[in-house]
Amino acid sequence: HHSMSALMLQLYFSQDELIKELRQTLNATIGGEDYNKDQVNKWTAAILERCISDLCKLGKQYKYIVTCAVTQKTGAGLHAANSCFWDTALDGSCTVKWENRTMYCIVSVFALSIA
Amino acid sequence: MDEFQAEDETTFVVEEVSKIIKESVEATIGGNTYQHNRVNQWTTNVVEQCLSQLSKLGKPFKYIVTCVIMQKNGAGLQTANACFWDNTTDGSCAVRWENKSMYCIVTVFGLAI
Repeated sequence: HHSMSALMLQLYFSQDELIKELRQTLNATIGGEDYNKDQVNKWTAAILERCISDLCKLGKQYKYIVTCAVTQKTGAGLHAANSCFWDTALDGSCTVKWENRTMYCIVSVFALSIA
Repeated sequence: MDEFQAEDETTFVVEEVSKIIKESVEATIGGNTYQHNRVNQWTTNVVEQCLSQLSKLGKPFKYIVTCVIMQKNGAGLQTANACFWDNTTDGSCAVRWENKSMYCIVTVFGLAI
């Protein structure tokens, strides 16, 4: 927990700040949309582009991986997990689960120090 | 000849990683039917097995492994990822696996140290 907050202090003022920005990105890109298989490709690309862009603007010595999954709400079970082999002192991640009436969206950000 | 071997020891080899992923998925959920109360354990096992095999390669890389398991009932699923990294040294490999009752998508990201 200590190492996570040290990372977030370098990346953001707090993990809450990063989560807030991710939610804002999702609300702005797909907030008002209904699941549409012909558009979902475009949406995930837009979400990823904004996330990476926001992260790079921080100008920190980090590499970033951002993953985004969008699934239609039909009652199907969905489970996601991730595991990392990294520098436990400097690296960190953050996951946001978001939903509207017709779809779920899970975005994960992984930050890996270069320093 | 020595130079070629050294390069192989420090690069992200997609075929090698793909094999590790496929073996991990098959070993964990091959032959199984989607079960809500087991899927938690399955995703954990898949990522842990992948990471274990990846670290055994002994290459100077950090790894991120993600695994999504979804029940097949007609719902649409779209996954995507973006990376801000070193194009010359870093790499990723995604494997999409399925059986009659579920989809499993595993992605490995390797970032050179």
